[in-house]
Amino acid sequence: MNALLLVRALRDPDGVAALDDGGDGAGWNALIAMARAERLIGTLALRIGDRLVPQAVAPILADARLDAEREARQALWEADRAAEAIAPLGLPVVLLKGTAYAAAGLVAGQGRFIGDLDILVPRPSMQAVEQCLLRAGWEWVKDDPYDDAYYRQWMHELPPMIHAGRDRMIDVHHTVLPVTARQRPDAAAMIGDAVPITNELYILSPEDRLCHAVAHLLADGDLAGGLRNLWDIHCLLEGLDPVALDERAARHGIRPHVRQARRLAAALYGDGARLTFWDRIVVARLLARDGWGRERRKLLRFAFYLRSHWLRMPPAMLARHLFTKWRKGHRPA
Amino acid sequence: MNHALSLKIGPATFRIGSAWRQPVEALARLYADYPDAAGKVADFTVRLEPAGLFRRWLRPSIFITGDHGLADAAPMSLTHGLLAAEMGMNLQMALGWRRHLLLHAASVERDGQALVMTGESGSGKSTLAAQLGERGWRLMGDEFALLDLATGDVLPFPRLVSLKNRAIDVLAAEAPAPRMGPLLAATAKGDIRHLVPRSDAVRRMGQGARPALLLFPRFGHAAAVRGVGQGEVFMRLTQASTNYVALGEPGFAALTRFVRSVPARAIDFPSGEEAIAMVDRLWEELA
Amino acid sequence: MPHRYCQDGEDAVATCVLEDMVLLYHRPSGQTHMVISPVPEILAALAEGAALTASEVHGELSRHYDLGPAEEALPQIEAHLAELTALGLVRLA
Repeated sequence: MNALLLVRALRDPDGVAALDDGGDGAGWNALIAMARAERLIGTLALRIGDRLVPQAVAPILADARLDAEREARQALWEADRAAEAIAPLGLPVVLLKGTAYAAAGLVAGQGRFIGDLDILVPRPSMQAVEQCLLRAGWEWVKDDPYDDAYYRQWMHELPPMIHAGRDRMIDVHHTVLPVTARQRPDAAAMIGDAVPITNELYILSPEDRLCHAVAHLLADGDLAGGLRNLWDIHCLLEGLDPVALDERAARHGIRPHVRQARRLAAALYGDGARLTFWDRIVVARLLARDGWGRERRKLLRFAFYLRSHWLRMPPAMLARHLFTKWRKGHRPA
Repeated sequence: MNHALSLKIGPATFRIGSAWRQPVEALARLYADYPDAAGKVADFTVRLEPAGLFRRWLRPSIFITGDHGLADAAPMSLTHGLLAAEMGMNLQMALGWRRHLLLHAASVERDGQALVMTGESGSGKSTLAAQLGERGWRLMGDEFALLDLATGDVLPFPRLVSLKNRAIDVLAAEAPAPRMGPLLAATAKGDIRHLVPRSDAVRRMGQGARPALLLFPRFGHAAAVRGVGQGEVFMRLTQASTNYVALGEPGFAALTRFVRSVPARAIDFPSGEEAIAMVDRLWEELA
Repeated sequence: MPHRYCQDGEDAVATCVLEDMVLLYHRPSGQTHMVISPVPEILAALAEGAALTASEVHGELSRHYDLGPAEEALPQIEAHLAELTALGLVRLA
């Protein structure tokens, strides 16, 4: 069994009516475990909506909907707090990912797990933003000098900070991919074209939202949690003009990635697509999840883990990074 | 997974999967009289997995996880597999339950009214609840008390009672041997033996009760009773709840209602017998 | 220009009195705050959309309570308002 069960339920929620056919709970148990493991249970619950489900399933979905509501409320509050802390700088605060989708009421935000607050600010303002956040009660999560230096020199964000009173994390980005990555999205253009949703808060333009989600999924990650990221992409694609999107993707240097993401989203969540050989390997990685919620296909996952670092760093630096991590006892999961 | 079992405890259904036979067999024996949950849709999945590549066979070592897990959970020896399964279920409740306000508390019932006892581990609440459960009270649970968000009633979660160290002999002297689980020696929390609640506690596991008295017990001190202000009760109960924040306003409403309507006392006691006498006295007086 | 303060929205807070304390459940943040006098009174002074300076809050409170000398009470009220603003229960108008 693999996560196609979950993908189908998201694509066609009417199909869940047949899940109970065995009468042994197996189909629902597998679907719920997979959806939780992929952090798509809230999305699934909203997709299923009022459809008739077995008596034991209804409260599980209701809980997931309530969790998602609270998640969104807290995310918006964190965004409000960050905006207030940064307000003296007079900068636009551009929300990214889940918080942005929730703040703008996008379909991609419905039921979505959110977690940390991600914001994008102009690179020259990073230090000032950092100072504002420290003054307003955020503090560094880790005090490892190697990690800290690594973040500052090579990553696309400040080292993560956490708010001492509210126990919530913030990631402050100045671009959307690590500085070492082979692709260089144009962060200044993204900020320049961001659209306001309140007085202080902005979100990326529709094309840039998609480009960012794609950068996150294909150019950056090892595809862990990829089904959710691909669901975001599927929702964000709705109503986008393919030509405008293609141009924007070219500007950010990720046109092949955006095209691949469109194929993958159409294949899994949409009306289907012709897949390349490499697409099929990515799909196998995305679906590597069993009915107990466990990740399967260890070797394939490890290959993607290595690849994600390979994409982000020149080889010599990658070796140094992995060695330093290894000495500290870090192993890929 | 290779070995699996479904269990219903109070309002929650668990599906437990294990890489090994032993934990599932131990559960099946001790939960034999609980309602049959085979083929039911589970609220939570628990997984007992090998902690490393060869750890299924070589010095078998269990990593506890499931729908909800802790990345840094310490692996456990297979000889403590029963405890691992219990911890796995507790973990799901603590991190994932949303249908009631979950209090880390023991509770017992008499005449339709509930006595709730909360305190850190080692406070003696679990032992006291187990003893009361053998002496005319209905044991509702030794670990979690579930507060209904709409009615304010306490609902049972009568899982196996986890007896630690000295409490093992105390209860072994009162409860018949078939209700006692195997001795799990030298766990991270010392020696542990599980006790199956009496059959009425299992049979009535869907029946709630109105909370009538809240106690903060403390074992190992000279006998004393002290009033506790509502502000302090509220603070201590938010700390004893794993889902207060997650429930939002309904949790706030349920907890403030509980704090305002249930009398509370802190009790210190040097022995189980004295604790039981104190409980009887306070129950007469306040409940 | 002294700061003006207002409540964080009309319906942002649910309150519950527990003996000598007041619990404030702040809906937008989901946080519960436990406060004692004069914090509930300060919040009440900002009710119904009022946007007041610290000294106006002081004036409002002193109509109902004996606050002692103003040079001691006012800095305390200012400190409370700053703290409430940091928590998000009160905003700068």
